[in-house]
Amino acid sequence: MARPSRLALSTGVAASLLASVFFMPMAAQTASAADGPLVVARAMDINSLDPARGYCDTCQIYLSAVYATLLTLAADNQTIIPSLAKSWEVSPDVTTFTFHLDPAATFSDGSPVTAADVKWSLERLKNVKGGPSYLMDSLKSVEAKDDQTVIITTTTPNSEFLGILAAPYTGIINAKLASANGANAKDDAATSDTSDTWFLANSAGAGPFVLEKYTADDSLRLARNEKYWGKKPAVSGVVLKQTADAVTQAQMLQSGAADIAMQVDPDTAKTVSAPDATFKAVPSFNYVYAAISPAAKGAPVPLTKEVREAIALALDYQGLIDFTVGGDGKEQSSAIPNGYPGTKDLPAPVFNIEKAKELLAKAGHPDGFAMELEFPAMNVYGVDLSLLAQKVQQDLGKVGIKLSLKPVPFTVWASDIDDPGVPFALGFFAPDYFGSAQYVQYFGMMPDMPWAKRAGVGKVAGLDGKEQLAMYQKALAATDTAGQETAYHDLAMKMIDDKIILPLVSPNLVLAYRNDVSGVRYSACCNLPLGEIEKK
Amino acid sequence: MLFSPPARAAERPRPRLSAGIGRAFRRLGWSHLPLIFAIVVLVGLVVIAITIPWWTPYDPVALAGRRLQPPSAAHWLGTDALGRDVLVRTLYGARYSLPIAAGVLAVAVALGVAVGALAGFLGGLIDNVLMRLADITLAFPPVLLAMAIAASLGPGLVNTALALIIVWWPIYARLMRAQVLNVKKLDHVDAAIVGGVKPGRLLFRHIMPLCWSPIFVNMTMDVGQVILLAAGLSFIGLGAQPPTPEWGQMIAEGASNFYCWWIALGPGMAIFLVSLSSNFLGDALRDVADPRGRQ
Repeated sequence: MARPSRLALSTGVAASLLASVFFMPMAAQTASAADGPLVVARAMDINSLDPARGYCDTCQIYLSAVYATLLTLAADNQTIIPSLAKSWEVSPDVTTFTFHLDPAATFSDGSPVTAADVKWSLERLKNVKGGPSYLMDSLKSVEAKDDQTVIITTTTPNSEFLGILAAPYTGIINAKLASANGANAKDDAATSDTSDTWFLANSAGAGPFVLEKYTADDSLRLARNEKYWGKKPAVSGVVLKQTADAVTQAQMLQSGAADIAMQVDPDTAKTVSAPDATFKAVPSFNYVYAAISPAAKGAPVPLTKEVREAIALALDYQGLIDFTVGGDGKEQSSAIPNGYPGTKDLPAPVFNIEKAKELLAKAGHPDGFAMELEFPAMNVYGVDLSLLAQKVQQDLGKVGIKLSLKPVPFTVWASDIDDPGVPFALGFFAPDYFGSAQYVQYFGMMPDMPWAKRAGVGKVAGLDGKEQLAMYQKALAATDTAGQETAYHDLAMKMIDDKIILPLVSPNLVLAYRNDVSGVRYSACCNLPLGEIEKK
Repeated sequence: MLFSPPARAAERPRPRLSAGIGRAFRRLGWSHLPLIFAIVVLVGLVVIAITIPWWTPYDPVALAGRRLQPPSAAHWLGTDALGRDVLVRTLYGARYSLPIAAGVLAVAVALGVAVGALAGFLGGLIDNVLMRLADITLAFPPVLLAMAIAASLGPGLVNTALALIIVWWPIYARLMRAQVLNVKKLDHVDAAIVGGVKPGRLLFRHIMPLCWSPIFVNMTMDVGQVILLAAGLSFIGLGAQPPTPEWGQMIAEGASNFYCWWIALGPGMAIFLVSLSSNFLGDALRDVADPRGRQ
């Protein structure tokens, strides 16, 4: 669930920054004509273009543009609305979901989207065991009742299943076409499915675009799906252009070499002068957190509840936001992001140095202690993690906790946090769909969940894991919104109290685009819905 | 007047300092201006590096004012993304860059000179083995080799210094070997051999004293190069780690705040001045060491 290189602007490629600055005039010459494709500048993190295997931010954009899903998320980022399924019913015990497909829906080759395609696609997503396959963990069976009706059952009540079906990874694939090219949905699809390379050059979806050409580390080109069954996109095509850093992206926008820049940070947005472009900061569900793992090897002192609480109290949350994104962000109370079910009226994080010192003294460390802070050397969602780490270092220094900073490549960080474990780390997360369960699964203190294992659930005092598991099951079984809200609120309160995951900054997302482009918005499921964008 | 007897000099009124400097200028002429510039910059930086903790107005790693402020009376070179004073950080940077340059060169020269002298003096198989080793090291582009070493040892200032030493020693080994081979052919060496001088004494007393001047000239020139390469490694994240106010690291911070030009200006100017000064100093030393090369 932790996205490898989500919205990642690696700081390690600073040299390429200089190179790209020098080559800017060349890039400017390729500025697209008015009727040309829409050019999107973006640091891409594609690991695969197969809906069942791709698991990245860029994948969300690509998959939602090329593969239609049963349901999708409205512009309010909360309401589930029809897509391939024009209507649906949910059983009272929240385990059986019946979908009625839109008879007009066709794939890009003109063949109709049938219930068999839905069954094949969802079973394949589960069986390929790729990055996003966890979304289908609770899938029990998919039945194609007739061509237009699909009945899905889940093993346990899952009030979030509708939200999951709006995630672009659950996009419906043209089963006949993909099967002819090595794909299958059998139990052993993880090894017997050999279609990964085919998906890099071809697409088989029912979305507004089709794949034209993908060149790794250079560009991803999409062409309009001329047989699209919905409202045809206004642009003839889209080029996602690999552009490593925020500054170059801003310059491409300035010169007209790009129509949209996706990872311009708030500081750059404020300092760049580009009268032809709009920079709009909108709240996002992305955030950066600090994580304390009491069970990790190498902790200098036992990271007891008191010590963890002292660390949380010593952090100047508003200052962190001011320093990393120039104030363009929000405080976040729990690991469930602001605006998601259960986050209404959560207490804001508290900054209180005196109390922190008191707790440290009570825990037997009146003079503090020395500790290492490990973090991926990256720029995520406009937050330079190195800058953030330096601010955390300054803050904790004031209560006597002497941090030494350890920036590492993302891949090193991702393996270190599991083995040997990192006592104090920075991390980041962006949602896969609209729903709070994904956060409880990843951050909750329940047996066998990623951060619970790292923190030492069952081995550390105060973290038994049983209580949250019961609360989680209750949340999944809740049938109405109010019930879900209460259940996730209780969970969020418990997660705040654990002081394992300390959310630091929820940065605003900068939507940066040329003034002749309209329809640019941030979507919690699909990142940037390309089909809605128009260009004058 | 310069060689007047001390007794008479004592009777005369002491010349004012400014007059003394003026006279020195006239005597040295404009051709020595670069040398004076170099000495002023380098000595100035060393003095600043040593004394700055006593007079700095701001802590180099703590908040000094509002973030990302352009140059002003309170912050002559503005503030960076964490609100730290860029000028103070730049001056503190001398405490990292200068010792690294000095340390790297001291060890690289000691190692290189020892290897080169041995190879040149002994010749034969030992010469071959040592020099091929040097050739292999020299065959790699220095930046690439330093990157590979720093990356495998892990980032950090000490590892950067180690990487730079490994890159630099062969240059001095070659230089020293060539010098020893040249001096070995001179008549006084033959005379010493005939006179029964032992090999150790021959090398240390009769050969090496004549070999040093190109080494010193090269060392001075290399100060700038070492600082540049160390800064380059920090820039790509392999050298000094935040919040260390190291110049290359600061320029990297400036690059990520591209439109706040002042963040990279201080460290950029510092690197430029030190490199230029070390080149000027090296040039001047070469002129002194080899009067025939003078125009």
